[in-house]
Amino acid sequence: MRRPTRRGFLAAAGLTALAGCVGGDGTTGDAGLGSTGEGATTDGNATDGADGTDSATANCGPPDETGGSPTPRPAAATDPPDVTSTNTPWPFPTADERLPLPMSPADLREESRSGGPSKDGIPSIDEPQFVGVDAVDFLDDRDVVFGVVRDGVARAYPQRILASHEIVNDVLAGDPVAVTYCPLTGTAMGFHRGETTFGVSGRLINNNLVMYDRATETWWPQILATSIPGPWNEAPETRSLTEFRLVWTRWEHWRTRHPDTEVLSTETGYARNYRTDPYGSYTPLSGYYEDGSPMFPDLSDDERYGPKTVVVGARTADGAVAFHKASLREGGVLTGRLGETPVLAVYDPRYDTGYVYANPDERSVSFDADCGHVVGDRTTYAPDSLPLERVYAFDAMWFAWSGYYPETTVTDRR
Amino acid sequence: MSERTATGVGSALRRTRDAAMLTIRRRDAALVFTVTTAGYLLVYLWAIGHLAPGLGGFEVVVVDGAVGQLFTQARGPLAFRPVARVSLGPLTYLFSLNTVLGAGIAALVGLNLALSYLAYTSPRACGVGSQSAGLLASVPALLSGSACCGPVVLVVLGIQASSVLLTAFQLLLPVAVLALVVSLVLVGRQVNGETV
Repeated sequence: MRRPTRRGFLAAAGLTALAGCVGGDGTTGDAGLGSTGEGATTDGNATDGADGTDSATANCGPPDETGGSPTPRPAAATDPPDVTSTNTPWPFPTADERLPLPMSPADLREESRSGGPSKDGIPSIDEPQFVGVDAVDFLDDRDVVFGVVRDGVARAYPQRILASHEIVNDVLAGDPVAVTYCPLTGTAMGFHRGETTFGVSGRLINNNLVMYDRATETWWPQILATSIPGPWNEAPETRSLTEFRLVWTRWEHWRTRHPDTEVLSTETGYARNYRTDPYGSYTPLSGYYEDGSPMFPDLSDDERYGPKTVVVGARTADGAVAFHKASLREGGVLTGRLGETPVLAVYDPRYDTGYVYANPDERSVSFDADCGHVVGDRTTYAPDSLPLERVYAFDAMWFAWSGYYPETTVTDRR
Repeated sequence: MSERTATGVGSALRRTRDAAMLTIRRRDAALVFTVTTAGYLLVYLWAIGHLAPGLGGFEVVVVDGAVGQLFTQARGPLAFRPVARVSLGPLTYLFSLNTVLGAGIAALVGLNLALSYLAYTSPRACGVGSQSAGLLASVPALLSGSACCGPVVLVVLGIQASSVLLTAFQLLLPVAVLALVVSLVLVGRQVNGETV
């Protein structure tokens, strides 16, 4: 094995050997977080087409352990949830454990406000069409897309289309899913939708999209992913949705890694101009996305970062943790705590994204910034393939995260 | 309303109607009306995001069930769902009921300016005080464009929206129409049809 040049830093203070990682057999770490791997949420299949071979420099070899290729199996803990294992009255799978809420469901309802549009005034895409890479002439290299891979099928959902629709009711490798995006909180999240579809209620909580399911008309705030009462269903059982990871990345990154990807077509069934985004731009960062206050009053009173600062957040029934994304990008690896459990965040330069792993044994790893690998003991890993239990995580604006999870721990390099 | 007031209002309306007819007969006033109406409509469509740089190409796309969707509210009251997309090279135009609304408001703005022009050029016009009212009254409608959540102008200015502000924005279009009609009557009564 070639030993790469390291200019990363040690992720954990302890010098405990990464004994469990040396074998690199793709199995799960010793112990995990209680609420992951229980059929609730999956974080690992967003990029499972990646083989970890496109190193940052030509001198870098592939990592010793990768997500596999061509149809890799992620670590056991990152398998898609068993959607038939839950037993609920909902026409879609719900998680075994409820995600944390900042207040009671009834109080959350009181925090809702009109964003302007009426119910379905922002129309979800219910019959999405897809095109191949060669037919994509409406994306610039730096445009943001939300990517996911399932059973070898890679799909990209352009942010500039989702900004007008917020929800795509899709079927991904035979699995009915809802791909959702809230422009005001900068959050892209996937949900299993079972036999129903999701729509945009027109209401906001903490500036965050409040979805509703068309079977029971229950409100589901996107980030909280948990049912709350609303005017169309006054007393729903409080349950959380099952989620899956969407990778927030750039078109050039996704296309390079997944040349056979399918891309959501601009032929959505609606007359829209998908060149324009009324909020601003991510290429370059401007308008609402850049700085300033949220559009509406939010729930956060935490001013550690600017409201629009992006964090990689993870939450389970045990608590919440956030990693300052710019710090993660700079350092490669950050550590934190999710409830009582030590966790590890790893940067993936291939997608400019981050992953969060449970690290109960506080194993020490470092980041090889030259090659974009994670190094543990004498083994290198692709950032999405550490032999630890992956925790579902996603990008969010700081005000949204800290407003919903005021007790969150947060890690940066300051 | 007293008989004298009613007579005064009736007289003002008649003079406004007569003055409006003048804009058709006088070529220069008709030109002012046409240019102003067309210009305002373009600005209005741009302000609400229905005329903007697009993805390129030349095509017309009409959605299925366009007539049924024409009256579907999209981003708030009086903000309707586009039912057709016209791509004109670098520009993309979205047709919705807001084009019809915008055309009506643009016609009111054009009439205001044309009557102001007639009043200004009339030797017996009694003052120019309300000549600019039509232009001022045309502003609220330009601010009525909304994003997915919240008015676009607040995004641009970085102002946080409150419920009161949001309600106020929903009233911008009707306020604009009312202000334009009042302004039209005020300026129309100053035009003496016999001397113009």
